[in-house]
Amino acid sequence: MSSDKKLTVKRLVIFLVIAFLPFFIIIPVMWAVYGEPIYTIEREDAAVATYLLGVFGMMIPSAANLITRLVTKEGFRNSYLGAHFKGKTGYWAASVIVPLGYSVLGALAMWALYMGGMSFSDTFDPLGMQNTGLFLLQLAFSVIVFFPAFGEEWGWRGYMMPKLMELMPKPAAVIAGGVIWGLWHAPLTVAGHNFGVDYPGYPFVGIGRMCLMCTALNAFLTLITEKTKSIYPAAFCHSVNNNLGLEIIFSIFGTEKAQEKMTEMSDVGTMLPYLAVLGLVGIASFVLLVMDKDKKEAVRQKEAA
Amino acid sequence: MSGLIYKNFRVNRSEIIFSLVTAGLCCITAILLSVFIGGADAIKNESDPSSVVLVYALLYYLAFMLPAMATSKLFEGDENKTCCAFAMSCPQGGKGHIEAKYYYLLILNLTILFMSFISDTITMGIFDGKVSVSLALGLIFCWRILLSAIEVPFVIRFGSQRGVAIKGAVIGFIFIFITIYFLFGDISWLIGTEDPIEALMEWLQSGDIIFWAGLFPFFAFVAFYVSCKISVKLFRKGAENYEQ
Repeated sequence: MSSDKKLTVKRLVIFLVIAFLPFFIIIPVMWAVYGEPIYTIEREDAAVATYLLGVFGMMIPSAANLITRLVTKEGFRNSYLGAHFKGKTGYWAASVIVPLGYSVLGALAMWALYMGGMSFSDTFDPLGMQNTGLFLLQLAFSVIVFFPAFGEEWGWRGYMMPKLMELMPKPAAVIAGGVIWGLWHAPLTVAGHNFGVDYPGYPFVGIGRMCLMCTALNAFLTLITEKTKSIYPAAFCHSVNNNLGLEIIFSIFGTEKAQEKMTEMSDVGTMLPYLAVLGLVGIASFVLLVMDKDKKEAVRQKEAA
Repeated sequence: MSGLIYKNFRVNRSEIIFSLVTAGLCCITAILLSVFIGGADAIKNESDPSSVVLVYALLYYLAFMLPAMATSKLFEGDENKTCCAFAMSCPQGGKGHIEAKYYYLLILNLTILFMSFISDTITMGIFDGKVSVSLALGLIFCWRILLSAIEVPFVIRFGSQRGVAIKGAVIGFIFIFITIYFLFGDISWLIGTEDPIEALMEWLQSGDIIFWAGLFPFFAFVAFYVSCKISVKLFRKGAENYEQ
C-alpha cells in the first residue's frame, strides 16, 4: 500500500471513530436513564430528548470532518463547500425533485399495495388551499432542516465518500459507504428509531433495512455531490427526504380513514413501498455513477492512444 | 468568485461582528428568558402558549432585523467610480462583483438563521417541546431575504442613501396596508375573541392564509434571484452616477 493510501486510511479511521463514538455512548446512557428504548417512550420529555438528539446528533459527522481535517493537518482543499451552478442546474433541481418524487411514489405504492379496498378518493383528499399550503410550508421548512442535514452530508458525502473512492472502485465505495452510514444509525435503530422494536428479527432486520435504505440513498447523494462538486445539493436532498417523507405526505394529503389505517400498519410495513421506490432511485444513480466512470476511462484511453 | 466573497467579508468585518454579536445576544436572551421564567413549569397550565411563542418570534425578528441596518454599509465602501471600474475590469466583471454581494447577504442571513435555529432548539428543550418558533424563523428569514431583494437594486442604481429610503418606504407601505386592513378589512376572526393572539394564530392556520404563507418563501427566493439579475443589469448605469 502506498504512503498516500495509508494516510487516507488513517484519516478515514480517525473520522469514523469520531463520527461513531457519540451515539454508541449517548444512546445506551439515555436508555439507562429512561429505562426503555428511547424512541418507544410516549412521554413528552422523551420526545423532546429524541428531537434534540436528532438535531445535534446529525451534526456529529460534520464535527468529525472538521476535527479530522484539523488533527491530521489535511486542510480544507476538496472540502466540497463551494457552490458550482454552471451546467449543473439539473442536479441542483434533482436534489429537491427526486426526494419529493420518491416520497409521492412511495405513498401511491403504499395505497396500491396495502390499502386494499380503499379507492383513491377514499385514501387521498382532493387538492385544496389548506393541504397545498401545508405541503408548501413543509417544503419551505426544509430550509431549517437543511442545517442538521448539512451536518450529516458534509461528513458522509463531503469526507467519507471521497476517501472511500480513493481506496476502492466507485461501485464498491458506494456500497461500503451506504453500509457504514446505515451502521452509524444502528444505536438509533436499536432504540426504536424508524422501525420501532416490535418486529420479527429485532434489531438485526431493522439495522439491515437501514443499511439497504442508506446504500440506495447514498448512491443518489454521491452522484449529485460528485457531479456538482458541492455538498449543498446532497444537504438539500437529505433535508427534503427527512422533512417530506412518506408519512408526512400521508398526513398532509391522506384522508382521516387512510391515516387511521396507516397507524394500524407496522413501521416495517409502511417502510417497504418507500424502500422499493428508493431502491429504484438507488439503482439508477448507481448505474449513472458507473457509466460516468466508464466514459472517463474511454476518454483517458482515447487520449493515451 | 470565492475571492470576491472573501473581499466582502474582509471589508465588512466590523459589520459582520456587529451582526453576529447582535444576533447572538438575541439568541442568548431567548435562552436565558426561558430559564428565568421557569421553563416548562411556567406554561404547564396553558393549553396554547401562543403569547410566549409571539414573544420569542419577536426576539428572533430582532436578531434578523438589527443586522439588516448594516446592509447598506456593504455597498457604501464601493460607491465610487474607481472601485466600480476596477470591479468591471476583474475576470468576473461587474456580474461577479454584484453576485458576490448577494452571496454575502445570503451567507450572513443563513448564519443568523443557524444561530437562531440552535437557540430555538435549546429553548424548545427547556420548554419540554411546548414552545418552538422554527417555522416562524423560516418565514422571518424569507422576509429578510425579500427586503434585501427589494433594497439592493435601488442601492446599486441610486446609491445607498436613496436605497435605504426606498426600503423604508416599502416597509412603511406594508404597515399602511396592514393598518388599512385592520380598519376596513374583514376582521371577523378577531372581533369578540378573548385572546387576540390565539385568534391570530387560528386565522394564520386557516386554509387561504396557510396557502399564501406557504407560497411566500418561494416568492422570496425567486425575488432574490430576480433582484440579483436586475442589479447586475443596473450596475454599470449606477456606477456612472457615483462620485469620483
